[in-house]
Amino acid sequence: MKKLITLIVNKKAFEVAVEPNRTLAQVLREDLGFLGTKVGCGIGDCGACTVVVDGRPVNSCLVLAVQANGSEITTIEGISEGAELHPVQEAFVEYGAIQCGFCTSGMILSAKTLLDRNSNPSEPEIRAALSGNLCRCTGYQKIVEAVHAAAGMMKK
Amino acid sequence: MKEYSVINTRVPRVDGRAKATGKARYADDLSMPDMLYGALLQSPVAHARIRKIDTSKAKKLPGVKDVVTAQEAGAVKFGVSPARYDETIFCIDKARYVGDEIAAVAAVDLETALEAAALIEVEYEELPVVLDPFEAIREGAPVIHEDYPNNIGAEVHQEFGDVEEALKTCDLVRTDKFVNKKQDGAFLEPQACLAFYDPGRGLTLYSSTQAPHYVQRTLAMVLGLPIGKVRVAQPCVGGGFGPKASANTLELATSLMAIRTGRPVKMAFTREQVFWHSRARHQFFHELTTGVKKDGTLVALKNTCYLDGGAYSSFGIATVYYAGSLLGAPYRLPNMKYDGYRVYTNKPANGAQRGHGGVAARAAWEQQLDIIAADLGMDPIEFRLKNIMQRGDITCNDFNMSSLGMKECLEAVRRGSGWEKKRGKLPRGKGIGVACGFFVSGAGFPIYRSETFHSTAMIKLSEDGGTVNLYTPAAEIGQGSDTVLTQIAAEALGVRYGDVKVSSGDTDFGVDLGAYSSRQTLMSGHAVKQAAEEARHQVLEVLSEQLNIPVEEMDVKDGLVLFKREGVDFSALRTRYIKEHRGWTDPPSGKHFTFVEAARAAYLARGTIVGTGAYKPGELGGKYKGAAVGTSPAYGCSAQVVEVTVDMETGQVTVDKMTDAHDCGFAINRTNVEGQMQGSLSMGLGEALFEEVKFDGKGRVANPTLGEYRIPTCLDMPNVETIIIESNEPNGPFGAKEVGEGAIMPTIPAILNAVYDATGVRINELPVTSERVFDRLKEEKERRKEV
Amino acid sequence: MHLLPKFDYYEPRDIGEACKLLSQLKGSARIIAGGTDLLVNMKKGLSAPGSLVGIGKIPGISEIEPVNGGISIGAHLIIQKLVEFDLIRKKLSILSRAASVLGSPLVRNRATIGGNIVNARPAADLPPPLIAMGARVRLKSRRQEREVPLDRFFRGPGETAIKPGEVLTHIVIDALPPFTGGDYVKLMHRRSLEIAIVAVASRITLDGPDGVIRDARIILSSVAPKATHAVRAEKALIGERPSERLFEHAGQIAATECTPIDDVRGGAGYRCSMVGVLTKRTLSGALREAKGQ
Repeated sequence: MKKLITLIVNKKAFEVAVEPNRTLAQVLREDLGFLGTKVGCGIGDCGACTVVVDGRPVNSCLVLAVQANGSEITTIEGISEGAELHPVQEAFVEYGAIQCGFCTSGMILSAKTLLDRNSNPSEPEIRAALSGNLCRCTGYQKIVEAVHAAAGMMKK
Repeated sequence: MKEYSVINTRVPRVDGRAKATGKARYADDLSMPDMLYGALLQSPVAHARIRKIDTSKAKKLPGVKDVVTAQEAGAVKFGVSPARYDETIFCIDKARYVGDEIAAVAAVDLETALEAAALIEVEYEELPVVLDPFEAIREGAPVIHEDYPNNIGAEVHQEFGDVEEALKTCDLVRTDKFVNKKQDGAFLEPQACLAFYDPGRGLTLYSSTQAPHYVQRTLAMVLGLPIGKVRVAQPCVGGGFGPKASANTLELATSLMAIRTGRPVKMAFTREQVFWHSRARHQFFHELTTGVKKDGTLVALKNTCYLDGGAYSSFGIATVYYAGSLLGAPYRLPNMKYDGYRVYTNKPANGAQRGHGGVAARAAWEQQLDIIAADLGMDPIEFRLKNIMQRGDITCNDFNMSSLGMKECLEAVRRGSGWEKKRGKLPRGKGIGVACGFFVSGAGFPIYRSETFHSTAMIKLSEDGGTVNLYTPAAEIGQGSDTVLTQIAAEALGVRYGDVKVSSGDTDFGVDLGAYSSRQTLMSGHAVKQAAEEARHQVLEVLSEQLNIPVEEMDVKDGLVLFKREGVDFSALRTRYIKEHRGWTDPPSGKHFTFVEAARAAYLARGTIVGTGAYKPGELGGKYKGAAVGTSPAYGCSAQVVEVTVDMETGQVTVDKMTDAHDCGFAINRTNVEGQMQGSLSMGLGEALFEEVKFDGKGRVANPTLGEYRIPTCLDMPNVETIIIESNEPNGPFGAKEVGEGAIMPTIPAILNAVYDATGVRINELPVTSERVFDRLKEEKERRKEV
Repeated sequence: MHLLPKFDYYEPRDIGEACKLLSQLKGSARIIAGGTDLLVNMKKGLSAPGSLVGIGKIPGISEIEPVNGGISIGAHLIIQKLVEFDLIRKKLSILSRAASVLGSPLVRNRATIGGNIVNARPAADLPPPLIAMGARVRLKSRRQEREVPLDRFFRGPGETAIKPGEVLTHIVIDALPPFTGGDYVKLMHRRSLEIAIVAVASRITLDGPDGVIRDARIILSSVAPKATHAVRAEKALIGERPSERLFEHAGQIAATECTPIDDVRGGAGYRCSMVGVLTKRTLSGALREAKGQ
């Protein structure tokens, strides 16, 4: 039986009726049109589906939409201000941290939440924060460099 | 060195912003009104005759709009090489591996489609299963394809020079065996596609593919449609690495059902299905015998390889050739013999994956060369330097090294890694190792016998003159071809990077063989450069007529037209342009005539200005059987030094640092080249230390998840010092050649050689897990006790 | 592995209501906390409960509280908080360390300590350090509340002493004696997203800052159907002066006290050898912490 829930996505409240067996990833993508969240494996092994729920980055494929009722959710679509990119996004583009882009949404959100609570992370701290997000294309190095650069940008 | 404006820079990717903001659309993001969702039924058994398929229950399920099996799909065979077309959309009389496709369903939603697929009843008569390639070639083994009763799908026998005679002249001869494990592409985006059909315009398929052209041809051939009425276009693609370079049942079944239902149909693989589909790196069983003189001169190589091919051929013919041919360089080797056998087994089919058949062979040989160097008391880098080829050398198997920066790469990594300070001076448990490798810049011949161009391109200048539209059928899969081709177009035309708008990966734009064998920078690059030069020439011709200046006295750079002579009066043309743009607030001004104005003038004179380009390699390679595979207009090469720490109690290997020097001819985009190097190294590291597709006794993939098929995480990959070497390839556009696959070649052996340096033990089987190292250390300890 | 099967979903407002639901729905209901294990099993077709009871909104079961010198941890506390919270890092560093190598940061932001216990996987990361620290679990049902030492809580893979209608609400660790230290080492293939090949949690209590070993616990993980004490190795340490040689000796004994299987992550022989190495290393780590206090 469908449940009526409210998801506050990117600061906007969405009321939606969902079956309990739908994941947050599915509802974000299919019901609310936030296609920037990707599904790479469906079982929490790859991090492509990362979104921020109540301040913490999580695998949205393993969150039931009904469990996120009332939660504040940030997707990749929610971190830029109009045409202005978030410093993490800017840095990813500038430092070559993006190749196929499929891991990018999740990677950026994990990086952003790191920088929100640690404005000057060391390289090991950056790598640890991203250790749940797999990338097959880049070898991670330019991603780490981009996060480091973004930290510098955010301080200004 | 010529001064370039747009190329050899670090311009950001054309698609970076879209990907960073979540706006990029991949196949599974697409939807159309009235769309149906597809699901597959796949064989749960590894080898069986199909006695009966009953789809009646599935068809009756409310919401189901189509159910198809071999009956509806037909029996036209397809595959990769026409000489080995051994696949059909669905199994006809036999299932040959767990995952072989039996049927497909299209329904109003995914739940219904899956439920319906589960309602299809299949009567399997199970046949004996063979999973081991050495079992498969034995007398009496179950026959997987009737045409190949001994299960050897392809066999290669080549000899250059006289190996047996040559070995007799050697001072040192060594034989070693080596085996890797079956891999998976493990791209983050599972395959997905969306097909729709219009009786007038034909079939359109959006697919997560590396090779729209090959998919287009396969769809046309198998579904009986004119090629021109089949359009395959890429949405954004989330990685390929090889397994996405050929048509698959997902694409064929989706298209079939779209035609039959008249509605769009979308279907995607789960991650598990990605493993079942595979078409990834083979397992190779190598035995190498190498002979040298005591001064370190390489004399002869005998290479025997058995490949576990899985149930179908896929790219396998090319693979079995590459497993031999790609050892012909980068060292001078006058005598080489290769015997290769690709064997069918009842497992998912193996195909091409980054580095193709060369990766395992290179790992085996570069480790063996290190052992030989050690036996001769020579430094491994010195040993290699002594034997490397140079520009202009031709291998014993007729590969022409039109450029080869192998020496520069080796010297660069020796310097960059601090080799002299570290080699032989590290404590037990720490090691440093080196290896080399090379790869083709595009296969010399297309996968199907043809005189086709390998790449075509079109450039259309916008009629107002301000924008350059580049239409390239080349496939962007994350490697950055859109960006690089945009740069080449801009440079060749003389405009700025931001003036070019690229559209790609669509068979409506022409022919491009796709993103495989590291071909696009060179081959698609040539076509784009030609198209750009043709468009530029047309514009300059018009200018020449209108200004009465010879074309040779004009140049275009950074969007400006430059004249050799002083005082050229273009005011009439400018005035006309401004008059035609009354109301615009930014009229062209300044002392230089702009390309925008020139292009506009050209349009007014001639109509739409279009330049086309078409590339195919010239005469390449030898005349012997199989000469085609490995021929290429150019070869990229790489040298790598790796440092490891081995925990001597647990056997755990940590790669601490990697130094890679790659000769890409000329870096069109320096950031992209580095990214390809780092990405290649991460795949090589994964294969060296963690990656292995495992099977149970019934032929089922035992670890079809990214949790148990382990690709490196951010904590596993060290920093890589990347050194770009530019040898200026004469056959490449602006001197460019490949980087996508050459860099992975030295990775595994550099790690193996470093592990030996740290521990004193050699590992001849991948992956180098902690358990494997522990067992070898224990064996070695036992052996020393006995001695 | 596409979609979750269908189920009914309940979100009780307190533990009493949760217990009532579990009793009413009998065997067909499962509690869902973080869901990082349960939902994976459901997607893989290994589990299909008719109802899920979400306890995320129940107050009072997600806090870390000092209690009588010890610590009480709400079962619904997310594992990442065990990595972040000062109180745990300082007083129960072994638990912080184990939490930091569980899964990935994304998993830790959802998975709960209660879930990691109740799922009773032989390779779970939190039970060994908790057992080493003498933890107890508090179980609540409609009729009663009881505590079970974690030592006696696990029966086998997926099986615990929890009764139908009971909910695990808190984990309690009493104050540790002075000069106590612990360490947890997990042998993994990669450095993240891994289930242990082998893991060991050790705890030592010394007689004084330079004293002999008064109490020792060595918990082996992933080498038996449940986390187990290496009893003979523990005994060999009591009353002895700590030293590298002693720890190596204890390791060798521990290596004979496990009964691992060959599985996708490693062979049995290797695992036993690694028990020896990890025991030695965790004892050294525990000693360093014991002396530091």
